[in-house]
Amino acid sequence: MNAVTAHPMLLALRDPAALTGLSVAQWETLVCQARRTNLLPRVAVTLDGLGLLPQVPAPVGAHLEAARTLARAQADAVRREVAYIDRALAATGVPIVLLKGAAYLLAGLPAARGRMFSDIDILVPRPALAEVEAALMLGGWASAKTTAYDQRYYRRWMHELPPLKHVSRRTLLDVHHAILPTTARLKPDSAKLLAASQPVVGEPRLRVLAPRDMVLHSAAHLFCNEDVGNSLRDLVDLDSLLRGFAQESGFWSGLTVRAAELDLTRPLYYALRYVAPILNTPVPASVLGEAEIGRPPPLLRGLMDAIFLRTLQPDRVGAAANLASLARGSLYLRAHWLRMPPLLLACHLITKALRREQITAH
Amino acid sequence: MSSPSALRWRSVAPGAIAWREWDGEYVVRNERSGNSHLLGPLAGRVLEVLLETDRALSVEDIVTALGDELAPPDTFDPHPAIDVVLSEFQRLGLAEPEKR
Amino acid sequence: MIVGELSREALTGGLADGGLRLRTGPVVTRIQSRFPRVAEGVALHYADYTLEDTDGFADFHVRIAPPRSPRRWLKPQVYFHFDGASPFLPLPADQAFAMLEWGLNWCVSHHCHQYLIVHSAALEKSGCALLVPGAPGSGKSTFCAGLVSRGWRLLSDELTLLDFDTGQVVPLPRPVSLKNESIAAIGQFAPSATLGPPVHDTVKGSVAHMKPPTDSVRRAAERAPPRWIALPRYERGASARLTPLSRARTFMHVADHAFNYDIHGRRGFELLADIVSDSDCFEFRYGALEDAVASFDSIAGAA
Repeated sequence: MNAVTAHPMLLALRDPAALTGLSVAQWETLVCQARRTNLLPRVAVTLDGLGLLPQVPAPVGAHLEAARTLARAQADAVRREVAYIDRALAATGVPIVLLKGAAYLLAGLPAARGRMFSDIDILVPRPALAEVEAALMLGGWASAKTTAYDQRYYRRWMHELPPLKHVSRRTLLDVHHAILPTTARLKPDSAKLLAASQPVVGEPRLRVLAPRDMVLHSAAHLFCNEDVGNSLRDLVDLDSLLRGFAQESGFWSGLTVRAAELDLTRPLYYALRYVAPILNTPVPASVLGEAEIGRPPPLLRGLMDAIFLRTLQPDRVGAAANLASLARGSLYLRAHWLRMPPLLLACHLITKALRREQITAH
Repeated sequence: MSSPSALRWRSVAPGAIAWREWDGEYVVRNERSGNSHLLGPLAGRVLEVLLETDRALSVEDIVTALGDELAPPDTFDPHPAIDVVLSEFQRLGLAEPEKR
Repeated sequence: MIVGELSREALTGGLADGGLRLRTGPVVTRIQSRFPRVAEGVALHYADYTLEDTDGFADFHVRIAPPRSPRRWLKPQVYFHFDGASPFLPLPADQAFAMLEWGLNWCVSHHCHQYLIVHSAALEKSGCALLVPGAPGSGKSTFCAGLVSRGWRLLSDELTLLDFDTGQVVPLPRPVSLKNESIAAIGQFAPSATLGPPVHDTVKGSVAHMKPPTDSVRRAAERAPPRWIALPRYERGASARLTPLSRARTFMHVADHAFNYDIHGRRGFELLADIVSDSDCFEFRYGALEDAVASFDSIAGAA
């Protein structure tokens, strides 16, 4: 695999101390790239941690400060929203496992620092889904997707209740009973995830995934999902999680075994294959070796290398942008392919395309 | 359900509540809820009284604290009005009754 | 270098290639476009503005461009691109300059969180700032254009930037957008004002822009402390009436119209409260722009 070309954005993630040597034009590119990848507050926090903010040109510093302010406000909003969700579901007694950003934040993980947040994702046991939905509706959440087609798509074919939106707060909540769709080829067992989940300090009803499961979920999310716009950000999450948990005894040694238990050896293979060269994540060689059990056939691997490496680099302005958007498109198709049987896939994409046309025409 | 009068009340997270008063009207920001509110003179004073102390207060305590700021008792019974204020505060997340 | 110093060829060429780095108050935007309407609009409205060198820092990159698909010649459309992505649906191509203006507002209101940003016009006289907060359609732009034509300095038409450290208004003078009847009204009230060509059938009706006075542009670095907050209401034939508005209600109105009040939490609350404390707050009803000017000249004179 070829070395990844360094952009200001990747430099910011791999060697932030070197940012003080950037030219004004490079800072400009960095701000652009960081904004597009939702990583601007992360850059701000990193530079602040190194005591380098005073060396940043003033107009750049203003953008960093603005981004941090926004990220802090989003974190506050997530905490508030989690409190509302907790209150709404308290009477059900159902354990709520927070996922992704909300989990990192409530668990106080380094991955939450400088992170931007949007909607909240929670995992609940499948049998409790109806009760949870009812309690949330009582609490003011309503379905955000209202067409019959979308309702069918989400309930029958995907792994979620249709996304919920709170009627007055306008906040978004995704309730999952599995971390991948039931129609997907990979089937990580939710019961195992829930059984291994850990409590959030000071919160009797809130839980988060166990460290290895958090990493595997992040890997699955990165390499199986549609939201490819946030790929670099998701890779940064993964890198933060790996660095943070590396200190915990037994974390690395059980990772591949756990991946096999959860049918996630392929995403783990990709995750470790790409995160290390792109973000310099320290991954023990033994673990890389063990993760080989998840490797795809060589031709597929070559193709994936091309697509992922292209996609995960922040876009360069100009000609490269087109190539990247093509690659993003392929990734989107692949994500869909992984999630749904091919015939369903064709139906869904065509319908989505048709409805987008209708919206534009208005 | 007990009426507000029978309960004792506290403001939620006093450190999270910022307020200003001009000419008897109050604006309040509650970091806990993220919301801001406009309060009239009575509601504003009730909030001030709650914020001034750590103790949970009954409606009677609040009436006492407000003392002669309230109209004379033969013309005006403040208890129902303060009841309404406290119920509103609970709905807005500004105050809550003490758990028994 | 000032925009007006460029030849039309240089201006058009600059916009078409690497873009021009236009300074508006504290913000520098690299603008790229091949649309003639954009070049004309920039030449007219931004003649007094400074262009930064290509080695200076640009806060935003915007591009006003036609669609990439072959439809481009059938139904002329225009897209607004920001940092390479297009956040909005396209508009008819004749609205290209208006799209630039709306886009520039969007850039600031969505990103410049180092300030508290209020959806408000702001004007300066006697060293103090008058804030006119209000939603589109409230008449604040007509009121603003009227005062600006009679000696008030334009600090901003749409977005008032408030500095956290000093509480002062940071000027962001830009063309004043006028809609529908206001266009003719300002044309009559201020015949010497420079108005761009109106575009019709926008979502807001007919829209035209008024070039800000040169003085307002040149003095964009001069901040001013807020001193008056006014909520104007135009009523045909009505006599001018200035009514004090309670500070608490003014606070709620301004907070309601602040783009990023919620993002700033307590800090935003304290800043707005301080500003309201130090300001006289009014509702103002008027039927003629002359009355508006007279009333506020009088208030400013007494400052």
